[in-house]
Amino acid sequence: MLPHSAPSNQSPIIAVEGLRKSLRTGSTTVDILRGLDFTIARGEFVAIMGASGSGKSTLLGLLAGLDNPTAGNVRWQGTAISYLPENELAQLRGRTIGFVFQSYQLIPTLTSLENVLLPYELNSDTGGRRAGLARAQQLLTSVGLNARFDHYPVQLSGGEQQRVALARAFMLRPPIVLADEPTGNLDSHNGEHVLNLLLELNRAEGTTLVLVTHDPTLAAHAGRRILLRDGEIVAQETGEQQHNLQGIAPIVPQAEA
Amino acid sequence: MPSLSYSTAARIATRELRSSPGKFTFVLLSVAIGVAALTGVRGFSASFRSMLLLRARSIMAADIAARMSEAPTPSQQSALAKLPGLDETTVTEMLSMASSSTSLDPLLVALKAVDPAKYPFYGNVVLQPAIPLQQALTDSTVAVGDDLLLRLHLKLGDKIKLGNSTFRIAAVVTDEPDRLTGTFAAGPRILISQQALAATGLLAPGSRATRRLLFKLETTKAEPASDARVADLRNQLETILPASTISDYREANPSITRALDGATGLLSLMSLVALVLGAVGVAMAMRAHLQQRLDTIAIMKSLGAGSSQIIRIYLLQTLLLGLGGALLGLALGMGVQLTLPLFLARLLHLTPGFRLDANAALLGLGAGLLTTLLFTLPPLLDIRNVRPILILRRAVENEDSAFFTRAARHLRGSGLQLLATALILIGLAALAATVSDSRQVGLTFAIGLLIALLVLLGAAALTLWLLRLFLNTTRRQLPSTLRHGLANLYRPGNPSAALLAALGLGVMQIAAVSMVQRSIVGEMQATTAAKLPNLFLIDIASDEVAGVRALLATQPTVQGTPEIAPVVSARLTAINSIPTAELHLKHMPRRALNSLELTWPPTPSTPPPGDRVVSGQWWTAQQSAAAAQHPLVAIEHAQATRLNLRVGDHITFEAEDQAIPATVAALYEADSQHAFSRADFILPAPALRGLPVTWYGGLHCDPTATGQLRRVLYQHYPTITVIDVAATVETVRQVLLQITYVIQFLAAFSTFAGIVILASAIAGTRYRRIREVVVLKTLGATRPRIAAIFSIEFAVLGLIAALIGLLFANALARILLLRVFHFDYHLEWTWNLAALVITAALTVAAGWLASHRVLGQKPLEVLREE
Repeated sequence: MLPHSAPSNQSPIIAVEGLRKSLRTGSTTVDILRGLDFTIARGEFVAIMGASGSGKSTLLGLLAGLDNPTAGNVRWQGTAISYLPENELAQLRGRTIGFVFQSYQLIPTLTSLENVLLPYELNSDTGGRRAGLARAQQLLTSVGLNARFDHYPVQLSGGEQQRVALARAFMLRPPIVLADEPTGNLDSHNGEHVLNLLLELNRAEGTTLVLVTHDPTLAAHAGRRILLRDGEIVAQETGEQQHNLQGIAPIVPQAEA
Repeated sequence: MPSLSYSTAARIATRELRSSPGKFTFVLLSVAIGVAALTGVRGFSASFRSMLLLRARSIMAADIAARMSEAPTPSQQSALAKLPGLDETTVTEMLSMASSSTSLDPLLVALKAVDPAKYPFYGNVVLQPAIPLQQALTDSTVAVGDDLLLRLHLKLGDKIKLGNSTFRIAAVVTDEPDRLTGTFAAGPRILISQQALAATGLLAPGSRATRRLLFKLETTKAEPASDARVADLRNQLETILPASTISDYREANPSITRALDGATGLLSLMSLVALVLGAVGVAMAMRAHLQQRLDTIAIMKSLGAGSSQIIRIYLLQTLLLGLGGALLGLALGMGVQLTLPLFLARLLHLTPGFRLDANAALLGLGAGLLTTLLFTLPPLLDIRNVRPILILRRAVENEDSAFFTRAARHLRGSGLQLLATALILIGLAALAATVSDSRQVGLTFAIGLLIALLVLLGAAALTLWLLRLFLNTTRRQLPSTLRHGLANLYRPGNPSAALLAALGLGVMQIAAVSMVQRSIVGEMQATTAAKLPNLFLIDIASDEVAGVRALLATQPTVQGTPEIAPVVSARLTAINSIPTAELHLKHMPRRALNSLELTWPPTPSTPPPGDRVVSGQWWTAQQSAAAAQHPLVAIEHAQATRLNLRVGDHITFEAEDQAIPATVAALYEADSQHAFSRADFILPAPALRGLPVTWYGGLHCDPTATGQLRRVLYQHYPTITVIDVAATVETVRQVLLQITYVIQFLAAFSTFAGIVILASAIAGTRYRRIREVVVLKTLGATRPRIAAIFSIEFAVLGLIAALIGLLFANALARILLLRVFHFDYHLEWTWNLAALVITAALTVAAGWLASHRVLGQKPLEVLREE
């Protein structure tokens, strides 16, 4: 189950098969995702785009194995994960997926170094803390926080907190990093800085990056863009031309379905 | 399987503890107060119980006494000698003639021979001058009652002649511990040593002497032997000495026994209540805490942590909190125990020997840890249901929280939760059994608690549902503040039903303890206030009765109306037509059947003062009037047991060669503190008409003036023997008063502890309010408005909880008082109403106190954290 012992480079690292998600509120059923099929290849940088309510966060949750689909499946490196028992899934996720969230989601009672180290401590068999420590320090240094090892999240600015989150996401050298509006809470200067760091780390670590955003400029950096609307894929586009998408992407968020 | 190392788990756990000390103070305090109340009440009650039991035993001078007319046979002696850990001494009581060596005028005296080296096992013989008993009772000296000096015109140091010997009077006997339970005989008393009595030659074979064997169980500590050991010994003695009448110290004074039983039961109840309240506090606080930690848990899960790893962190945290709280509580409890004797010594003149018991400390520590662990188990297990998706959902504004709460609720019904519930019940039962020293009590308590909790939850849910119905129909008409306050009860994630049940449970327990305490204390105060007889008059002739009454009426030191009971001597000849000669008697010498004492009550249709019917029915005035033809009899319960008599049996007495066949109408218990306790058989007056009667009087005299009254009585009626038990009665009164003080103090202590715990449980809800306050403030709500909204919410919570709690408290107190403690229960409207208002007020106050800082919250601080 080691992340790097995946089959061949040709097989997709993520495969989404007939993925559906419905929510029942009272007597009414709301379909959030209406049957999605796509794959993501190893090393690819994919942006999932859509307005608020388009289902992109739900899709991200399912891609990350944080939630169960109503139907269909998600495969990581060939392993179907959507119906794994909780603990098994948690372990697999810890080694396969690195997360970057819009609201950072650092543990407030741990220092930045401890936050970065946490995935290692949660997932390492060996418990060799020294190796982990070196890696955590190196990652924090690479995001420019070498002077902030022992600071608690509240003592850091938003941009700094997100850089700690970036370092944490890459801690275990996961084959996949999922980023949910990673710059959504930051001003443009900090946002750009974080994005550059993310792309740099992604390149350096050779990770597959899936970015969820409604921001076309952010998505423009991706090799492929998947556009969602009302739970369906309405467009896929590769390369650097995003003019068409810009026209399609609704600027004003639609009401919740 | 990769796992979080304990050091990392501990680091995260302690880091959280340090990051928000305020929140954990509630948990710590809940545990600490629960443990403090438990160790305090327990240690306290243990010390008091042993002290009070010692005093109760001093009324009999022994743990157990066996009264018999013959000396034990050699085989009985050797069987007694084989009983382990037992000390024994004999008291011989007989009537004899004494004369002054100068006057030779003989006088009937009551001799009491004791072994001064051993007698009494409990209590003290008070002598004048104050010399040791061994010095007063030698081969050549005796101690006498002051009436003997009066009658024979003697003084200390003079000589008296008993049988063949002459003795010097070494002291005057002022008080003996077993005066109330010894033989009441006519004539002044003389205390003599067994050896000296033997030398007088009075104890010839066949002489009518009563022997009382006094027994004391040997104990190592200051504490007297347990009731179980006493009961065990009693059984053995009944086998070895079948012809003797055996009584243990509990029978020596029924009102003390009753008060002690009530107090002991109440104290166990209070310990249990302290335990559960502490646990409720912990459960509420830990639930609130874990709810606050949902985000952290979700993040850790998304980073690959399994539920077990996260549970490990919070389990460690729980253990640390439980241990800390228990240690704090232990210190508090011991502090109370150490400082209280000082206060009590000054106020109540009580100096119980307090000692810090390692067992009690360990129990407190264990109870604190165990309850914390047990009650945190369900919220800990809920960690498994926290979905990592929460971190994304929060970002998308909880778009389907209803679904998730529903799913979580569904999952919560899983087997592990049931297992946890079972564990809690077993743990509680074990703790309750340890605390109350009874497995039965533990089991009953745990099951009772479960039922109470379920019913309370149901009642709380029902009330909330009804309120919501009301709210929905009247919505538009209500002022907006009130509407908002009421609507807050249904705030998503607000465990109103659980909080109501917890509050209701607390109110129920505190109120029930209060009610039981009030009833017991009320009865004891009535007993201690009553002017019980402390002087008894023996052998009043029929023609003296009117004169004695008239004389007593003129004495200012006599309080209340004296009781004068007629006594008719009779023989028992047959039971259910079987002649007594053919009866198999147990624990009753056959000879005793020839000298029974019958009496009639002062009123035709009610029992005499101090007697209480326990079986059958007392006769009516009509039945009493017809008693000459159809005599009825009421029999003292213990006597009936010895004779194996039940209501409806027929027995035949014979007095003055006249047969009186009577039907047993009732069995009664006598308090042995009234003149009528003298007789064991009560018949309606017409049944005994015409028979020779002697009279027996009991009166209450100012305890400081008994000597003077005795002299007046002697001047007018020199043949009447006066027995002064004022000192003993005063002891009884003091013990009863002390019991009431202790009960009241401990009840106040547990009530206070309970209120603090409940207040902290309410305060634990504050963390859910912060967001709400912030939103309200951003929308322009003023501080007073928010405060009003919260006050309404708290007041309604408090009122409903109090209403439900008091309802169940009354039911519980009724069952406990009537069935378990055998005291009276009365519904007290004003008290209940006051409790209702106070609970609501306290709830609002606690809520306010907790929300005070919440109200001051700056919106930005919270919004920035989002």
